[in-house]
Amino acid sequence: MGSQKRIAKELSELVESPPEGIIVELADEANLYKWKVFMEGPEGSPYQGGKFLVNLTLPTEYPFKPPTVSFGTKIYHPNVTNDEKGSMCLGMLRADEWKPSSKIAAVLQFARQLLQEPMPDDAIEGRIAQQYKNDRKRYDEIARDWTRKWAVSE
Amino acid sequence: MADQGDRVFCHACGGVWLLDTGEDGHDNSQTCPHCESDFTEIIEIPPDSPQPEPAAEPHLPSVNPWADHNPWAQQESTRPQTSGWMESGSPGYSHRSYRSPDGRFTFSSTTIGGGYSSRQDAQPNPMLPFMVQSLDTLFQGLAGTHDGHQTQRGPGMNVHPYPHAAGMREPDVMHDPFQAEDEHARRHEGLYPHDTNGPQDMTAPLQTLADLLEAFQGISGAQRGTARNPAENPFAMLSALMRNNDAVYSQEELDRVISQLIDHTQQGTAPPPASDTAIQSLPKKKMTPQMMGSDGKAECSICMDPVELDTEVTVLPCTHWFHFDCIKAWLSQHNTCPHCRRSIDLPGVTSTNTGAGTSENPVVIPDSPPASPQRQRRRSSPFTSRSIRSARSSISRSSHNSTSPEMGGESGTRRGSRSESSRGGITGWVWSRFGGGGGASS
Repeated sequence: MGSQKRIAKELSELVESPPEGIIVELADEANLYKWKVFMEGPEGSPYQGGKFLVNLTLPTEYPFKPPTVSFGTKIYHPNVTNDEKGSMCLGMLRADEWKPSSKIAAVLQFARQLLQEPMPDDAIEGRIAQQYKNDRKRYDEIARDWTRKWAVSE
Repeated sequence: MADQGDRVFCHACGGVWLLDTGEDGHDNSQTCPHCESDFTEIIEIPPDSPQPEPAAEPHLPSVNPWADHNPWAQQESTRPQTSGWMESGSPGYSHRSYRSPDGRFTFSSTTIGGGYSSRQDAQPNPMLPFMVQSLDTLFQGLAGTHDGHQTQRGPGMNVHPYPHAAGMREPDVMHDPFQAEDEHARRHEGLYPHDTNGPQDMTAPLQTLADLLEAFQGISGAQRGTARNPAENPFAMLSALMRNNDAVYSQEELDRVISQLIDHTQQGTAPPPASDTAIQSLPKKKMTPQMMGSDGKAECSICMDPVELDTEVTVLPCTHWFHFDCIKAWLSQHNTCPHCRRSIDLPGVTSTNTGAGTSENPVVIPDSPPASPQRQRRRSSPFTSRSIRSARSSISRSSHNSTSPEMGGESGTRRGSRSESSRGGITGWVWSRFGGGGGASS
């Protein structure tokens, strides 16, 4: 299948020259469509020091359908659902925004950028977005707290 | 404080009780103490409207077997009751909320019931439009009917006439056969304090469109008399819509609704697929050195396979190119360029364009293969970039004077070739004319 070839290619590129703060591996060596991504919290963000597991799932129609990105590590963020799914809302991953020429590397870098700069106007957790906008200090505090609690392994 | 606690209404048995406001939160006490059902709903009374209940409550102490369970009810019932309340049956407003079992979702709704009625009591203004009162009555009827369905059978069942007016008994919710009627009434009082249940026949519940129209008639005189008809279906539909659409009772339901909405949105805004003919008629060409990247490499941005010089690719109107199979797979889902999202159905470059049309539009010509030097092609040797450049410049210079005469002279041939491959533009014409691209272009 064409998609497998492209996925394998993207994977090897990502493994050989990983983008900053992003480590990629297959969740299961036999399955190209499920990736485990470890994302370091960007410096200067309240997520700094944390290491977040991001599950990347590729549809069989990839690259014609977008991958889905979800956080396996609990994270306090306006654009990540605060539930066991940890779904991340990325504009470029919406079906009507997705372009097959987007690479997974770009998706992951965008996701990490979102940790640095949340997009409260495109939020999935409205309450956190409100707090981010109105009470940044408290948001930083909680996000740091959560990072320490969930994303820092001893 | 106990008076201010949330009251909970049980949809299964109609019981109302005070929520335990213990330290450990509300969730554990939301199960009905009477029937153990968790199909319950918190009814909140806004703190700033302390008298919404009197109209609804006066009978409670005497007829309600559970009145003792509800300290709030007793307290409220001691308040004076005015006839104005009964007629309009409208307290200030009522606030309802539903909390999902795990407490993560809360629905709440505020019903502005009869702000007018209370004002009417305070200031008997003759200017107060009679209409308002009638509308009031109308909405009460709506609410009552809606409530009736929900209460008696729960969600998901068919609409049936409001049994309240007929005094119909409901064996499935009856606890005490002798008090069924009272329980029924009390249930409504618990949920909708503004419902006119005291003297039950003072405001007939609205159940048909005819009733609605009648109410409107009261407002606007006999003008609407002609529109009267006994059609029940429109209102039944309305009622069903209200019931099914404005409430979900579990998180799964909510998730389902939300994902449905998301799906709809995505389908709604994604670009539509391109037609097969549009895909087939896209121009193809061989990779030229100009199309390669600065490092002399190029890849199809769909499959990300490297594309070598002279490989045939399909070019979109926006000049982005892809493997035909790759772009076909994408275009059969969306008619935009996977790279820049420009539509492939651009005016002037559509499949209906003929060679004659595009010969006036030299934009596509630089993208066409070096077709005029037929000899070079026959040599079937890779072009040097110099020869291509000269070819390209020569074709743009010579396209009009060199092709036009041939078009006149060999129109038969040309027409045949055009219909055989509907590649648009001068490119297509030139390709079919000179057999450019070898086997791939035939």
